[in-house]
Amino acid sequence: MNADKGFRGIRTVESEPYQLPGAVTDILLQGGRFLNAVATDERHRKDVVAFVLRYFFATECGATASSAYTAVSARIPAERPSYASVTSILPAAAWAERESHDLFGLVPVGHPDLRPLVLHEHWPQGVYPLRKDYPLERRQTYVDASWTYPKVDGEGVFEVPVGPIHAGIIEPGHFRFQVMGDSVLHLEPKLFYTHRGLEKRVEGLDVSSGLPFAEQVCGVCSVSHAISYATAAESLSGVTIPIRASYLRVLVAELERLYNHVGDLGNICAGIGYAYGSTAGSALKEQLLRANAALTGHRYLKGSVALGGMAVDVTERQLLELERALSRIEPRVEDLVQAVVTDDVVQNRFRKTGVLSVQNALNLGVVGPAARASGLPLDVRRDQPYLAYDALQFEVPVQAEGDVFARYWQRLLEARQSFSLIRQVLNRLPEGPVKEPIEDYPKESYAVGVTESPRGENFHFLATDEAGRIARYHVRSATYANWPAVAKAVQGNIVPDFPLINKSFELCYACCDR
Amino acid sequence: MMTAFVNVLQVLLLLVFAPALQGVIKKCKSWLQGRTGPSVWQPYRDAWKYLHKDEIVSEHASPIFLITPYIVFAATATAVTLVPVFLDSSLLASTSTLLLAVYLLGLARFFTALSGIDTGSSFGAMASSRDMFVSLPAEPALFLTLLALVLSDHTLNIVTVTAHTILHPGILLSPVFYLVLLAFFLVLLTETGRLPVDNPDTHLELTMIHEGMLLEYSGKRLALMMWSAELKQIFLYTLFIDLCVPWGMADDRATPLRLLLGVALFFIKLLFVGLVVAFVEMSYAKIRLFRVPRLLAAAMTLSLIAIVAQYLL
Repeated sequence: MNADKGFRGIRTVESEPYQLPGAVTDILLQGGRFLNAVATDERHRKDVVAFVLRYFFATECGATASSAYTAVSARIPAERPSYASVTSILPAAAWAERESHDLFGLVPVGHPDLRPLVLHEHWPQGVYPLRKDYPLERRQTYVDASWTYPKVDGEGVFEVPVGPIHAGIIEPGHFRFQVMGDSVLHLEPKLFYTHRGLEKRVEGLDVSSGLPFAEQVCGVCSVSHAISYATAAESLSGVTIPIRASYLRVLVAELERLYNHVGDLGNICAGIGYAYGSTAGSALKEQLLRANAALTGHRYLKGSVALGGMAVDVTERQLLELERALSRIEPRVEDLVQAVVTDDVVQNRFRKTGVLSVQNALNLGVVGPAARASGLPLDVRRDQPYLAYDALQFEVPVQAEGDVFARYWQRLLEARQSFSLIRQVLNRLPEGPVKEPIEDYPKESYAVGVTESPRGENFHFLATDEAGRIARYHVRSATYANWPAVAKAVQGNIVPDFPLINKSFELCYACCDR
Repeated sequence: MMTAFVNVLQVLLLLVFAPALQGVIKKCKSWLQGRTGPSVWQPYRDAWKYLHKDEIVSEHASPIFLITPYIVFAATATAVTLVPVFLDSSLLASTSTLLLAVYLLGLARFFTALSGIDTGSSFGAMASSRDMFVSLPAEPALFLTLLALVLSDHTLNIVTVTAHTILHPGILLSPVFYLVLLAFFLVLLTETGRLPVDNPDTHLELTMIHEGMLLEYSGKRLALMMWSAELKQIFLYTLFIDLCVPWGMADDRATPLRLLLGVALFFIKLLFVGLVVAFVEMSYAKIRLFRVPRLLAAAMTLSLIAIVAQYLL
């Protein structure tokens, strides 16, 4: 095992496939926080000739983005693609290891649950679509097999299958409840119905044409994904974006957080049929969306970020309009939340419902508002600052309860910070260009881009091939990290509270699947 | 002869306007939420749509599933013939006892719950078990409330009680009356599947009570089940009006003009009850399932206090 430093600012620790648990333990003991594990197929590279599995950790709190990360990297030999799983010491890595098992055929020896995650049971065994020798267009035949999942036995225990198609217009996801009366003993979610093959699709494209794909990863966190991708690309090329662009990115990122959080403040009320809350919330969200459209030309802020800076610039007049709109909306958000939280039915339904303990949040690697509402003081914006966050004043609110109420209240606490951040940007937006041209990208290199989206940390991994094109692109959205926590938080609650608990996490399905 | 004709008219009126009441409440709720909302005639369009759709019946369903809509509709429609609407008599005035009304609704509820379990769908079974859980305290609460209202009349006949109340507007001054009014209203919300007990507008299958039991129905049978639910609602509102605010009803010597005034007054009262319901639904969220018995216990307590008070005051 040796440590070399400074690969695009990422400290790399090399490890043998079967020494991974030890190497990972070392990093964890140094206070590293697990982000994600990314597999790459580098068998065709003469200097590698193997699969490479990299475990990424955030190691240096308060450091700048470029030197804050550590990768534990292992070459997994092509002829015997197996390694020692770290899931038993790092439960947060469970899904990442299952995913690389599905898509690359890398076997994590000692993994407690190696059922298919991404590809479901109808995909033929032994076919690994993200390997380089698998052509993009190849179709697979349907395999007739049944899904296996943990079952609970006993008198009075019933199984309630829900979805993947629901009565409301929402994304597909299947949930198996093992219930006793109305109490949930175990919830087994089956997601990954919306695989679009984005990661495979961008392989071989120019780095510059990957951005639209990154924006489509998620419909409601598209700015955060775009900035993650752009950060990775810029860190690859070594370009520093203009200072005005870094402030403008903060502006759009916070506007995105704002419309999501305000929308959630209303939408969580729909989980208990509280019409006042959900209607008032969606009305406020609509006003924010219109403000977004007035500023960037897109209600969901798409197309505003470009590689090397921003694709749109703003005028003084637009900023004034935005400021006016926000000062109209902010007191109404406070009013809405005051009215909602003083309702005794809301108190009764929200409090002590869907509790996620700090220990579970830590073990599962939960991120974002859900983690902070459970007592984990995490925020990429503060811990590994990027863009102009270093120069701006904001707090990272943390609560201890971890119930639906805490997650609801968390949205308000964070929305207040976003309002304040936006004001600061509006007051001191520097003049200058908004885009720095990027000439070319280095060959056979990689970089990561990590940002704090409304749902938590979005992690993008971008590697280039021998021609400087995209060799591997991987996205771990905040949702991906948080889904296992929903199943945990539901345990012991009653079935009719599930929609409420689910809404309090407000996770997407598609960005988890890509 | 004239009275018999008007009595038939009364039943027809409730049958025809039951969906409209549902539409009106929906419209009021939409307005309160600042939305335009569907037209008040939407329930008729829905019914028309269901009647022209194919029906899909689960292969696991037994004949109970198939006959339930007819039983439920028949029971509810029979209940409707018991109550005076705008004339102080009813089609089945001689058998019009509160006991019969309560048990006709009970019969409908029993079969609805059976049909929910019948197809083996987990949502239906969950909804049925919740409905039974709610009805366990709801039925005695309804009965106690009705008892508190009719105690002083020494009869259970709805028509007699209504006529008696019309002659004695003095009860408006009694505090007992308002206790019962409140209790009756709580029971009304529960029995018609309204917030804070059940959310009639939700698409969240996991939280449904009444709607959950209907999930497996489609086509004509769904139309019939929906109509029955709307009929039950208008029946309970009418009963509420009869027992609590019957003034303005026409009697059998009334002129056609007086009858029309009775109809108008009935609609105004109905609209008012609907408005109050819409307002309550707007301002409340759904309470936790296990809290529903407490709500009904409150209704029962109010009724009990009312009964005791009638002996003391």
